[in-house]
Amino acid sequence: MSFEEPADDQYEPVTGKDAQTVKCVRACEAEAAAKTASDYEHVVWAYGVIWALFCGFGVLLWMRSKRQEADLAELKRRLSP
Amino acid sequence: MPDAPALAWWTVRARARRGTTADVSTLARQAWLLAKNDLRQELRDLELVLTAAFFTLVVLVMFALAFAALPAADQTLAVPGMLWLAVAFVGALTLTRIFDREREADTLRALLTWPVERTAIYFAKLIVSFAVVFGCTALLLPALALLFPGASAFFERPGESFLLLALGCIAYCSVGTLFAAGLATASGKNVLLSVILYPLTSPALIFALVATRALLEGHPSFGTYLGQLAALDVVVVAVAAWLFEPVLVGGTAKPRTDRGPRRSAEGASR
Amino acid sequence: MKRHLPTALFLLAVPMFIYSVQRIFLNTPIESKMGTVQKIFYFHVPLAWIMMALGVACGIAAGIQLRRHSKLAEATSIACAELVLVTGLGVLITGPIWGHATWGRAWTWDARQVSTGLLWIVFAAYVLVRRYGAAGSDRLAAALAIFGAIDVPIIYYAVKIWKTTHPTTDVVGSLPSQMWNSLWVALVALVAMAVALLVTRIRQEMNAIALDDAWIAFDERTRAHGGSGGAA
Repeated sequence: MSFEEPADDQYEPVTGKDAQTVKCVRACEAEAAAKTASDYEHVVWAYGVIWALFCGFGVLLWMRSKRQEADLAELKRRLSP
Repeated sequence: MPDAPALAWWTVRARARRGTTADVSTLARQAWLLAKNDLRQELRDLELVLTAAFFTLVVLVMFALAFAALPAADQTLAVPGMLWLAVAFVGALTLTRIFDREREADTLRALLTWPVERTAIYFAKLIVSFAVVFGCTALLLPALALLFPGASAFFERPGESFLLLALGCIAYCSVGTLFAAGLATASGKNVLLSVILYPLTSPALIFALVATRALLEGHPSFGTYLGQLAALDVVVVAVAAWLFEPVLVGGTAKPRTDRGPRRSAEGASR
Repeated sequence: MKRHLPTALFLLAVPMFIYSVQRIFLNTPIESKMGTVQKIFYFHVPLAWIMMALGVACGIAAGIQLRRHSKLAEATSIACAELVLVTGLGVLITGPIWGHATWGRAWTWDARQVSTGLLWIVFAAYVLVRRYGAAGSDRLAAALAIFGAIDVPIIYYAVKIWKTTHPTTDVVGSLPSQMWNSLWVALVALVAMAVALLVTRIRQEMNAIALDDAWIAFDERTRAHGGSGGAA
């Protein structure tokens, strides 16, 4: 079986795949990926801080409330001998 | 021989007339009488003026030591900050000392029971503290110019420098007088004055800083900044004068839970 | 109904948070200049608004406390001040995080950053004076809060008076509607959370004041009866 060479006008030139362009494009993609990763890290930190602050305040309120209940119990105990 | 402050207050009481409405001329007259008494007393032994002046020099020497290693151009940039920080420190010292004296002689509480407009007391104290602090700036500027050559620009525009310093000192002293008086009760803690004073006066100090830098650099917007500082002064003095009576009356060693006649009504309804 | 207000608000806030995060990250377009990190804006800006509103509320409550000697106003004032500290801390931390990612510098000393920091310090001073002040210092603290409230508009106008590196206030005005809506959603979530915490704290403070009164009444009664109540 013989291999038939295609005619000259059936070739489509491949552009943009030479080593230089590929390296350039990969560098840009790497920079964008790094920025996105860094951005997400910042976002996670920022949102995490906000939620941690609210939770922390909630915990403080809860602790103070426990102390108040103990104080009230003490007062009740003293009032009813 | 009766105590000199007490004698002074009796003199004031004999001369001051009670105003049931906040009559401005009565207010001004009472404030001026009270301030004159304080200043006359101060001129007798010069304790406050001399210690404040000496403290100004000490603060400046500290700044010179701290910033000696900076290049001359950077030192010029630091001059507004040094000026206003020195004013802030001297102001805190002056106010503490003025009201310590009141606390020692317990004259503040006595004064509050006499027929003197409370706001007049506020303005009197403001005049006294302003006089001392502004007087110290008269020492501060030449010393600054001596230590840091960039500060000599103040002397090239003396009128504007005078106005700037006066407005800045008024803003600082007006806030400080209110809170120093509030803390001058028998159990008041002086450390809280520093905690309160610096944050509250920082907007005024920032406005003054920006204006000072504009002055030193010959910036055209200096007039605008000075106008903003003047507007801030008006607001701060008005609010502080208005708050003086509510803060002091009832703030003298009354326990927090003493709610007065309403408590019995609340107790009945609980 | 009023008793369960904080619980109701918490139950509103939690799903709103989840919805707002989902909306911000999945349904809102990425901003063209800053990229993904601009998403911090959706929480940072509402927090700043809440902080300023609470600062003004604290000052108003303090004014009412001075005028009418109202316990509720006093409790509201304290609660607002503490929440200013919490939300202020949120603003002051998320802002530099955003700034670090966008401009490379966390703290740029521009006017709005400085003013927010100063506002935080003023209300921290208020909380300190309330905790460690002497007997009559609640009025002094109220005066402090009033000055703090006056400081709040200075923050807002600082951006206009000075030239700064902070995004100008126009950023919020010129958003596309999808981003605007995400902002509203985040605002609702944060307001619900903040108000829930506020109401809880106010109730707690009212209880504390009532407990104080009760203890003092108990002590006085014991003293009047010759110390027979066994008070140690």
